Amino acid sequence: MTDTMLTDAAERMFADLCDKAMLDAAEDGAFPSALWNTVAESGFHQLAMPDSGVSLGDAFAVVGIAGRHALPLPLAETLLANRWLAGSDGLATIGQVQDGWIVDAPWGRAADRILGLDAERGACVVVELGEGVQVREGANLAGEPRDAVALPDGAEWLPLLEPAYAYLALARAVASAGCLARVLELTLQYAGEREQFGRAISRFQAIQHSLAVMAGEVAAAGRAADAAVDALDGDRLELEVAVAKARVGEAAGVVAEIAHQVHGAMGFTHEHQLHHFTRRAWAWRDEFGNETHWQRRLGRHLAAGGADGLWAFIATRG
Amino acid sequence: MLQFDRVTLPEETESLRRDVRQFLADNAEHLERPNSDFSTGHDPAFSRKLGSQGWIGMTWPKQYGGSERSFFDRYVVTEELLAAGAPVSAHWIADRQSGNLILGVGTDEQKARYLPPIARGESYFSIGMSEPNSGSDLASVRTRAERVEGGWLINGTKLWSTDAHRNHFMIALVRTEPPSENRHAGFSQIIVDLHKDGVNIRPIRNMAGGEDFNEVVFEDVLVPEDRVVGEPGNGWKQVTSELAYERSGPERFLSGFRVFVELVRAAGPDPEPALAAAIGRIAAHIATLRRMSISVAGMLEGGKSPEVEAALVKGLGNDFEKLLPEIARLAADDSIAAAARFGRFRESLRDTLLLSPSFTIRGGTREILRGVIARGLGLR
Ligand SMILES: Cc1cc2nc3c(=O)[nH]c(=O)nc-3n(C[C@H](O)[C@H](O)[C@H](O)COP(=O)(O)OP(=O)(O)OC[C@H]3O[C@@H](n4cnc5c(N)ncnc54)[C@H](O)[C@@H]3O)c2cc1C
Repeated sequence: MTDTMLTDAAERMFADLCDKAMLDAAEDGAFPSALWNTVAESGFHQLAMPDSGVSLGDAFAVVGIAGRHALPLPLAETLLANRWLAGSDGLATIGQVQDGWIVDAPWGRAADRILGLDAERGACVVVELGEGVQVREGANLAGEPRDAVALPDGAEWLPLLEPAYAYLALARAVASAGCLARVLELTLQYAGEREQFGRAISRFQAIQHSLAVMAGEVAAAGRAADAAVDALDGDRLELEVAVAKARVGEAAGVVAEIAHQVHGAMGFTHEHQLHHFTRRAWAWRDEFGNETHWQRRLGRHLAAGGADGLWAFIATRG
Repeated sequence: MLQFDRVTLPEETESLRRDVRQFLADNAEHLERPNSDFSTGHDPAFSRKLGSQGWIGMTWPKQYGGSERSFFDRYVVTEELLAAGAPVSAHWIADRQSGNLILGVGTDEQKARYLPPIARGESYFSIGMSEPNSGSDLASVRTRAERVEGGWLINGTKLWSTDAHRNHFMIALVRTEPPSENRHAGFSQIIVDLHKDGVNIRPIRNMAGGEDFNEVVFEDVLVPEDRVVGEPGNGWKQVTSELAYERSGPERFLSGFRVFVELVRAAGPDPEPALAAAIGRIAAHIATLRRMSISVAGMLEGGKSPEVEAALVKGLGNDFEKLLPEIARLAADDSIAAAARFGRFRESLRDTLLLSPSFTIRGGTREILRGVIARGLGLR
């Protein structure tokens, strides 16, 4: 059971704070400190710590709500880094170790510390950010900061105790599912308000059918993400993440396409808020393994198990 | 907004699932079909075996031959049968639809007469809704039944009636009152004995070569008074009230499952990356559709009537059933060298591809389902 007091509180706070002006400013590269302070004061950044009293699944539910509102903070990364680094507090982010750098770290420029993952080695490094640490700023196609931080010499490697890459992929899947649900809401609302030929465009069958397709993809994305969250305690988390990341990624493409078609030119403007969500849905498909990456992972597992094990894999209780 | 709750199948379903798998292993001679389509394998001997296991009408009262099991139990049995490619079409409609209708609105006498043989796997039903001029617009049905001395006199033509030439009964949707302002008023559902009542049945060959659906002509066919199911005039409400059951089941996304199994078999334990990705893609779709379908089963078990969610599962599932053979086809090695390895796969693919146009038509077309979803979204 999801802790609805927690999720309701997150919903209220993020809905209240994430407005268009804030998203624009964050996408221009300015860290939203006031927003961060409010979120941190409420303890949202510590939800996934082992002693938080909140289940990991509920922490992921909050990540989904953040996705719904395009919360311009590295919430999933902070949650997980504070979980994995004993005694860590404040704004922590996570990137991947590559050629002497920790790359693709959300808001590396503003973080207190950064965890660099080397999933293949099953290890990570921690770098305290501050004076003298070199940071190269970058962004994904949604304008979300994805920074690189130079790995200092002699950094200490720690073992990864949990499947970090899968957790982060799950975080993106969950956030995308929330984001896609929002895109559907925005599109339903727009279709009901926009009039052409003397009536709301939602009255046209072609539009209705597009919206029905969209609703199907949004529902599939939500169900797939939920199932992977439910698998957190089980022994096939990675495979359920594969299902979710692959399925949500496919949904993202379809949903974004239809949303823009229904919004017409208005949805193509910078002024309209739709793109904050559709660009995130596009960007998140590619982070922590795109559809092909996870399809292959799943496909290899199933092929190795053989044709006669296929149905047993699918026919789970939950 | 649409709701797909997290639903977990009860623990008890696991032992039932094992029993079904054991039963299928013991009855492998019935499992030679290359597809998992619920409506193309008519095998009375198999249906009778299922009946003697207590796996037909399993949610019905014991009094009528059922075993008072949950809707989840039924779900597990049906999905295991379909995934194995079992020939289920003989009893399928009676189990899923006709029996429930009779149980819901039939008289005690009708229940006692029709339900036990269905549950034994001996009595099979067809659906008589569509007509030459009534497909999606079901309310335009013209076949009529007139109350006469000694019963009802039926005239008209039903079309696409699956297995009418093999099954025992049809439940026909007919007009029992002339059309009026309210185009949904004046319909009734009548049980027709396809062998004894003097109907004229003509099988129609489909593009896959099968003869499964039929034209059924009624010319002054007299049926006894007690064949009307439910209130005369209440037929429309009755046919639409079962839609959530008809639309959300595993048969709406598993028709091509055998193609998938054969693809994985041919791929071997270490497929090249594109083939592995195709396998993973199909699995991600099926696993998700199944969970959505079980979410609907959970709502049904909880006494709700999630018609819109059911339409969504069917629409999404049917579209995927058409996509599956396409993904598989392009992923499979089509070299001559691979011919032997992919032989069974190709047979399964051919079979399913030929059936696939029907997936998004039968039981409510894709377009009609999208209309139902749009209504659920508040758009009409
Ligand atoms: C294999 C198979 C088995 C069947 N078995 C049975 C059976 O056992 N018993 C039975 O009664 N029927 C059966 N049917 C019939 C089935 O229910 C009908 O085919 C279905 O309802 C569609 O009707 P139609 O074929 O006349 O198509 P039409 O209704 O003529 O539709 C043709 C096209 O127009 C579209 N269309 C129609 N109305 C609209 C609208 N308002 N808006 C947008 N598009 C629209 C449809 O979506 C479709 O694409 C079976 C059909 C098949 C293929």
